[in-house]
Amino acid sequence: MQLNFAAREVAIKLVYYGPALSGKTTNLKALHQLVQEKSRGRLMTLETKDDRTLFFDMLPLVFKADSEHGSMNLRVKVFTVPGQVVHASTRRLVLQGADGIVFVADSQLAETENNAASFLDLRANLKELGRSISQVPLVIQFNKRDLPNIRTDVEIDELAQRGKEPVMKACAVTGEGVLESFFGLLDRTWKRLDEEHDLKDKLGLRPEAFLAMAAASLGHAGQATALASAFIGGARMPGTPPSGGTVR
Amino acid sequence: MTAQKSTHGSGNALDVVGDVPVRLEEVIDREALVEMCRSMQSLFGIGVRVYSADGALLANVASDLDICGLVNDSSQGRVACGATVSAAKSVDPGDDGDVVHACFTGLAYRIVSLDYEGRRIGRIVLGPYAPAGLREPPETLARTVPKLDVIQSTTRLSAVARVKPEALGRIAHHLKTTLELIIFSSHKAYVTSKLHLYSVRESYRALEEKTQRLEQAHSKLKELDRLKSDFLGTVSHELRTPLTSIIGYSEMLAEGIAGPLSKEQADFVGTIHGKGEQLLGLIMGLLDLSKLDSGTMSLRQASMQIAPTLQEVISTVAPVAKKKGVELVLDDDGVACELAADAERLRQVFVNLADNAVKFTPKGGTVTIRARVADGGASDDDDEGGAVLLAPVRRVVVVTVSDTGIGIPSAERNKVFDAFYQVDSSSTREYGGTGLGLSIVKRIVEAHGGTVVISANEPGGTVFTVTLPSAQARRTLPSRLPPADRT
Ligand SMILES: Nc1ncnc2c1ncn2[C@@H]1O[C@H](COP(=O)(O)OP(=O)(O)OP(=O)(O)O)[C@@H](O)[C@H]1O
Ligand SMILES: Nc1nc2c(ncn2[C@@H]2O[C@H](COP(=O)(O)OP(=O)(O)O)[C@@H](O)[C@H]2O)c(=O)[nH]1
Ligand SMILES: [Mg+2]
Repeated sequence: MQLNFAAREVAIKLVYYGPALSGKTTNLKALHQLVQEKSRGRLMTLETKDDRTLFFDMLPLVFKADSEHGSMNLRVKVFTVPGQVVHASTRRLVLQGADGIVFVADSQLAETENNAASFLDLRANLKELGRSISQVPLVIQFNKRDLPNIRTDVEIDELAQRGKEPVMKACAVTGEGVLESFFGLLDRTWKRLDEEHDLKDKLGLRPEAFLAMAAASLGHAGQATALASAFIGGARMPGTPPSGGTVR
Repeated sequence: MTAQKSTHGSGNALDVVGDVPVRLEEVIDREALVEMCRSMQSLFGIGVRVYSADGALLANVASDLDICGLVNDSSQGRVACGATVSAAKSVDPGDDGDVVHACFTGLAYRIVSLDYEGRRIGRIVLGPYAPAGLREPPETLARTVPKLDVIQSTTRLSAVARVKPEALGRIAHHLKTTLELIIFSSHKAYVTSKLHLYSVRESYRALEEKTQRLEQAHSKLKELDRLKSDFLGTVSHELRTPLTSIIGYSEMLAEGIAGPLSKEQADFVGTIHGKGEQLLGLIMGLLDLSKLDSGTMSLRQASMQIAPTLQEVISTVAPVAKKKGVELVLDDDGVACELAADAERLRQVFVNLADNAVKFTPKGGTVTIRARVADGGASDDDDEGGAVLLAPVRRVVVVTVSDTGIGIPSAERNKVFDAFYQVDSSSTREYGGTGLGLSIVKRIVEAHGGTVVISANEPGGTVFTVTLPSAQARRTLPSRLPPADRT
């Protein structure tokens, strides 16, 4: 996070991590579609000609929030990392300074191993950057729920209850679950930053107010809580409401 | 929490994955910008200025309106005009990023902000233009520049084309959109090139690391190898000293120096002596091998001919051959070609080969040592031409040692050069030996830049072909051969 008191500006960095072709870029494209035009910048995708992410994708979201201390500029930059193994150093670079992470897993049974390997890679890269995965707000998205031969709902629900991260189900090509994952992470990220930096007092902005304002600015007024709590599991994070419904 | 640190233009790849503000002057080509503004100006007849966020003028394409010329003729007018222009540079364009800034002449400027990633990074100033409703000079004109000719200023002002705010809005919006697109594209190209550089640097760093690790492993191995050779050398030496005594004393016993021996005693002493000699041979072989391996065997390379050496070989092996009933033939055809080689080591090579040949050839067979000079033949760099020049200096001496003995199956032909390898362990019983001879042969030949290969003899038996480069070849083609030290 970058906090610039003089400019009354807070900048947050969110990263979409996961194996190659799990749907990270698709998530960002959907998110771009799903937010109001005036609050979003251009989606920058650095792709190779075969549509695979070469370096990263980036979507800037910018909105104003009125706090007790006046108006603030909130900047959220959302990045994806390249999934291919060869881009390990770029993944680590993009991961630097991440305030929160969506791990996009591919629901297909055949991808189980790739998901696990990518998650271990995330853990190792964070460690290399001197951070521990337990300290970074994280949500896990099971994408491609529309495909056959996928991990079943029952299986995911059951595992999600055991794990400590909130789990979302999504179909990024249709946009289902995309906002839920984003707001779920934004919520947890802000709460974590609030705990660490006392933003409530410094900025005069309570986490609930922040989330409500973010949702309104992005074109989803009044839906903040519903969107941010549409996950399974993840109960161990303090201050989050108990698990809500699933996407499907 | 990281304090916001401005690192513009510092080639740091981290910048492009962070939130460092983009600067207009860095992502836009000034000349191209001016050109674009000029074409806008000629299309719509309205002047265009582009400023960066900190007020630097990046493009200035003014339309020389007559009224402006008139105003600027007076010193008061010039001052007032300058003040208006610099106000247009800093006036706040508001939340909408679009504002009209009036000039005292009744003309106006339209100011629109350039935004990127939600930040104001510059502004476009369009004008001056005459707003659609302007009829006559406003009183501000007369007040600001009292000396101005009223009739002249009225005609000149009415000559300025009227622009409707919606039309101007569209022009401004078009320019803003175009510029923002260009900024986005440039920034994207900038980010891509930064990351390309970064990944090249990272790959290079990874390779460097790997190379370093390999180098360390390599030098460690080399050190281990040296230790092994040192160890072998020391042990062989320590074994040789007492062994020489054993051999010497058993020899003296056998000669009856310490008194006559019974038949049985003489047999025993003979066995002790024989086995002692055998052991000494083995130790000497091991010593040679370790010296060759560690590169500490100094080849005393001198100018020499092969024929005298082969002569010596024949006389060394002749007694054994004669005893076994194997014929020994030397065919050197008066071969004359200067070699730069260690004569003693080459003698060792051919004694070994001839010794093997006799050993593995039954009674009545023949062992032939034959020497010839030949052109070096084809070589790897023939593709590059110059064969006419190179062939003469590639001359080689080819020595073959052929026998009519038991032969070596082709599958075994490479393995016999390994230390301690023998084709058939049962043959060890029959023929003795340790399997060190050929490994030493190969190392010595290669240390001279030569080769040794095995082929079959017709109708039976083995041919060892040793090819040695001439002294001239070793001098002129040093890259492909170990150099001869010219002493
Ligand atoms: N002229 C030959 N004909 C048939 N077999 C041969 C001939 N020369 C070598 N060999 C085979 O190659 C093996 C290795 O030969 P090398 O000279 O290294 O060892 P060696 O003769 O057995 O023992 P050493 O020479 O150490 O006393 C021999 O044991 C034999 O099997
Ligand atoms: N069926 C289906 N396909 C998807 C879904 N999400 C992404 N894809 C497809 O998966 C492929 C890889 O997606 P992409 O976003 O480029 O993956 P990335 O490498 O993680 O950025 C593309 O062909 C997408 O269309 C999904 O929810 N359902
Ligand atoms: Mg031998």
